[in-house]
Amino acid sequence: MDRAFKALLERTLGTSLEGPVRQRQDQTEIRIRPGDVPQVMRTLHDEPDLRFEYLADLAGVDTGTTFQVVYHLWSEVTPDWLRIIADGIPREEPRVPSLTFLWKGAEWMEREAYDMFGLVFEGNRDLRRIYLPDDFGSFPLRKDFHLADDAAKSPGGGVRPMERATAPADADATTLRRTSPGT
Amino acid sequence: MTTPTRPSLDDPSLAIPVEHAGIFDPIPVARTERQREFYALKDGELLLNIGPQHPSTHGVLRMIVKINGEQVVDLDPVLGYLHRGVEKLCENADYHQVISQVDPLEYISSLFTEWGAVLSFEKLLDVEVPRRAEYIRVLSAELNRVASHMLYLGWMALDLGGITPILWSFAERDEITEILGALTGQKLLFNYFRIGGVNGDLNHEFMSRLGDWMSRVGAQLEAGMGLLNENEIFVRRARGIGVIDRETALRMCVSGPNLRASGVPFDIRRAHPYSVYPELDFDIPTRQEGDSLARYLLRMDEVKQSLRIIDQCLHRMPDGPVSAKLPRLLRPRPGRAFSAVEAPRGLYSTYVVSDGTDQPFRMRIHDPSFVHLQLVPLLMPGNLIPDTMVIVAGLDPIMGGVDK
Repeated sequence: MDRAFKALLERTLGTSLEGPVRQRQDQTEIRIRPGDVPQVMRTLHDEPDLRFEYLADLAGVDTGTTFQVVYHLWSEVTPDWLRIIADGIPREEPRVPSLTFLWKGAEWMEREAYDMFGLVFEGNRDLRRIYLPDDFGSFPLRKDFHLADDAAKSPGGGVRPMERATAPADADATTLRRTSPGT
Repeated sequence: MTTPTRPSLDDPSLAIPVEHAGIFDPIPVARTERQREFYALKDGELLLNIGPQHPSTHGVLRMIVKINGEQVVDLDPVLGYLHRGVEKLCENADYHQVISQVDPLEYISSLFTEWGAVLSFEKLLDVEVPRRAEYIRVLSAELNRVASHMLYLGWMALDLGGITPILWSFAERDEITEILGALTGQKLLFNYFRIGGVNGDLNHEFMSRLGDWMSRVGAQLEAGMGLLNENEIFVRRARGIGVIDRETALRMCVSGPNLRASGVPFDIRRAHPYSVYPELDFDIPTRQEGDSLARYLLRMDEVKQSLRIIDQCLHRMPDGPVSAKLPRLLRPRPGRAFSAVEAPRGLYSTYVVSDGTDQPFRMRIHDPSFVHLQLVPLLMPGNLIPDTMVIVAGLDPIMGGVDK
């Protein structure tokens, strides 16, 4: 954990931060609003005492209620991985600004997130499906996409039933998971 | 008297309806800006399909190439022919099962995919891995790296039309698969790493074969590399093809040998050390040219560094247990963990979210080959069709990892 880095982040990003800067093991985590992504990333990339030049990963996450886009950056100024969570993207209107203006290589990672979650990255000039065929009707990594019953069962038998192939019509995505993901 | 009408191809009732064209229908409906630009053909341009089942595409990569004469104007890779939905499968498997699910991703170097997964789970669970297990991990993974780079050497030459080098490199690779087979019980998809350690201790067959191999590998590698490094046809075809400069490489999120060939000394083993790499003495080779030849030569330098690491591991191997004691059913606290390892192709990272149950809530796998394949449309324009093979082979993608 890099305590000095935490103070530096709080000083530089200020009001863009949603909630506290969290640190655990070798990871520092911040949460931002999805609309702030371009501005925060620009600051992290360009600021001379931050210099986050390397985008290690871009991932979509479905928390069951909302979507997140999670970025991992690397810089030589800190020994930590920096995790940026663009939090609270509504299911009905999953729109996030694209990161391709800064890292062109994010283009396919965003295409993958679109393919798997239906997240729309505004500004990505090639946002179409990448793995699945164009006429595929749904987004498979969403929590309301259920696997068939005969998939491998957990040897922990009874800890939590498999997601059912056919959920009741009135069930929403959150009821299939009894606990909420880590906060 | 009327003449009998004969079926004519001009008869509209016999025409094949165009809306049911096959999957290789060359011009789909353009949905994005990039597609509109790609499918707008200028005078003299035509679309050519390469793959998905072509021996030089390293698996099932399909490329739609826009050509003007012999020159490539633009290129659009089509992925997904090997897509298995591994991330979804991981969400429906428990933490131990995930290791075997991620194994076939980079099937040439599957120890690294296992390592990425177990490293992130160990962070979630706060497990301390015994030092002997860490050394065994480094030892076996570096062997796997040599095997992967040897295959690259052979494949690269094969794509350029040379048959001999792949026979030479397979002599080394076969021996390494036998050595790792003696250690893990498997020759390709090892399933050897466990959360908190490895599956079994070093055994006699592994040690004797490894010692035997280490005593002669140096000389054999020199001979095998001389076959290509001094081959004028190979060097002239690979030099100056597919040049990536430093800024573009960083902007395209390139990692691993492809990034280091462009002059950026970024290696996770040094940039963000994991396991026992800080204790080991090795160099990060870099090159400035950034072309296909530099990417090839850099990997050959890395093989030598890997052999140095293997040698040090054998000399420093501590005693002790090879696995931490953990319950069979793992339920980490709710939280998130990110880990990255330096795989032979670059940064292989795993982001895992736990919700307190025995299965990951979300398991994100980032594979370097996937990102590197984006470079192909960037590097191809202006080159000749045969150079597609040099560029794709030089970037060393593994379709198992690209398609997940």
